[in-house]
Amino acid sequence: MIELKEVTKIYTGQSVPAVDSLTMKIEKGEICVFVGPSGCGKSTTLRMINRMIEPSSGTILIDNKNIKDSDPDKLRMGIGYVIQQIGLLPHRTVAENIAIVPRLHGWPKDKINRRVDELLVLIGLDPETTRSKFPSQLSGGQMQRIGVARAMAADPPVMLMDEPFGAVDPIARNHLQDEFLRLQREIKKTIVFVTHDINEAIKMGDKIAIFNRGRLVQYGTPQDILSRPANDFVADFIGYDRVVKMLSLFRVEDIARPVGCTIEPNELPNAWNKMQDYQAAVCFLINSAGEPSGFITGDDFLKQGKDASPDVLNKIAGQRKRAFVEGDVLLRDALSLILEFNTEYLGVLSGNRVVGVISLGDIRKHASKKEGD
Amino acid sequence: MIMEYTENHFSLVLAAVIISLLLWVPVGVLITRNEKLASMVLNIANTIFCIPSLSLFAVMVTIPALGLGRRSALVALVLYSMMPLGRNVYQGVKVVDKSVIEAARGMGMNSWRILWEIQLPLATPVIFAGFRIAVVMTTGIAAIATYIGERNLGRLIAEGLTRFNIEMIVSGALLIALIAIALDTVLGIIEKQIVPKGLKVRRS
Repeated sequence: MIELKEVTKIYTGQSVPAVDSLTMKIEKGEICVFVGPSGCGKSTTLRMINRMIEPSSGTILIDNKNIKDSDPDKLRMGIGYVIQQIGLLPHRTVAENIAIVPRLHGWPKDKINRRVDELLVLIGLDPETTRSKFPSQLSGGQMQRIGVARAMAADPPVMLMDEPFGAVDPIARNHLQDEFLRLQREIKKTIVFVTHDINEAIKMGDKIAIFNRGRLVQYGTPQDILSRPANDFVADFIGYDRVVKMLSLFRVEDIARPVGCTIEPNELPNAWNKMQDYQAAVCFLINSAGEPSGFITGDDFLKQGKDASPDVLNKIAGQRKRAFVEGDVLLRDALSLILEFNTEYLGVLSGNRVVGVISLGDIRKHASKKEGD
Repeated sequence: MIMEYTENHFSLVLAAVIISLLLWVPVGVLITRNEKLASMVLNIANTIFCIPSLSLFAVMVTIPALGLGRRSALVALVLYSMMPLGRNVYQGVKVVDKSVIEAARGMGMNSWRILWEIQLPLATPVIFAGFRIAVVMTTGIAAIATYIGERNLGRLIAEGLTRFNIEMIVSGALLIALIAIALDTVLGIIEKQIVPKGLKVRRS
């Protein structure tokens, strides 16, 4: 656990503090994302935790130990550190780069070699071909991964990451983020992660700390911050699409309802009655293979009349042939599909079978729900 | 006679180069820690470099502790090397990518280790460039030391001039050039061994 108490940093020659009496706790095993505009103090705060910058006043504790009581170099050997520019040593091989901190700790050679190979596998690189490469022979994404592996080499409980994925292209960044989240589920480090990108913060953070002008403006879970922005600054920083962003925190399976009613093509003349019997607002059309090929809704009967011909119904259902999603799709993407197909409903798939249904109304209700409701 | 001149020339250059290395490499490294000191030292080096060599040798002779002969010659040559060598060491260390140093500090490397394991290895191409200039330059300027009593290849040229003996002038000049080229070639080979491999490979 990392604890900051009344931490202030005033750079020499400046009258305004870069960080202004900051007090916060970062829980063990969590990713805490510091986010805010340039110059808001997020990076300064991160760099005070490993004493790259000394605070002007205040105390920082890691696991209840004042960091001032440790030698700065010893302290840093126990904290993983990843920066945007990565800073791999260009004259050292991948293996030597990863081995830096274990070597400082004085590990025996064979232990270091084993650890290097283990880490390369963990970050998805082949030890045989990567080990003895030089940084100049790697792609940006590979270098970034080596940077993360190097920070994890001596298995530090705390890792500081300063815009670690900021220098790679959006596709590679997305990939690195997913990979890192998967990794974090296994390694459960306490991570302080700095970014200026609110979307990255929402995606990566167990907690988000929003900074502005050296002050902590809001600190909470992504859902908390998205559903209850503390003030106009936070709301502006999140943007007009605040609610849509919140929908990216949930998956279709979180709000899907069970399927009310299904019919086969030959039952189409009877569809209205069947929906009435089941009191279902939507009815899925299932082909002979058991796969859904579309759906009809109560609204269709309002428009077409209760006695709409099977041909018309079949055609309407067929237009929604692709209005289906898997359960692990984000609600944000499901909303986009609802708008794309101009429908009120989406079928929820598991393999080739329809297992549920979500509606625009359900998403709307969920979006206006606050955490804890 | 020519053998003696060549030997003297070579030994003067060698001594000057070794002393310059021992002196200006640490100075170049030291001044990277203090900008004010750096600009002062580099200004002095530039100023010395601008003094015509004949007059610098002459000034050395007037210093009682040095006098006529090798000591004056050595001091003057070492002072000349301050510019190419000291400046290149300073710049080579200075231009090492800040993010590499930042990352190394952040991992807990102390400044001594960073200097020894990162800054100096990464600075070797720039340091070597300066060193090779210093060596070639010293070989040439050492000839002038003949006017303050050094019996080296410069004497061949000087006597050739007074006697108007073109063969003497040309053979003196050629031998000096030969020493310079030989030393530069040897340094080139050493440089290849010392410059880290990682700085030379590119993504295939």
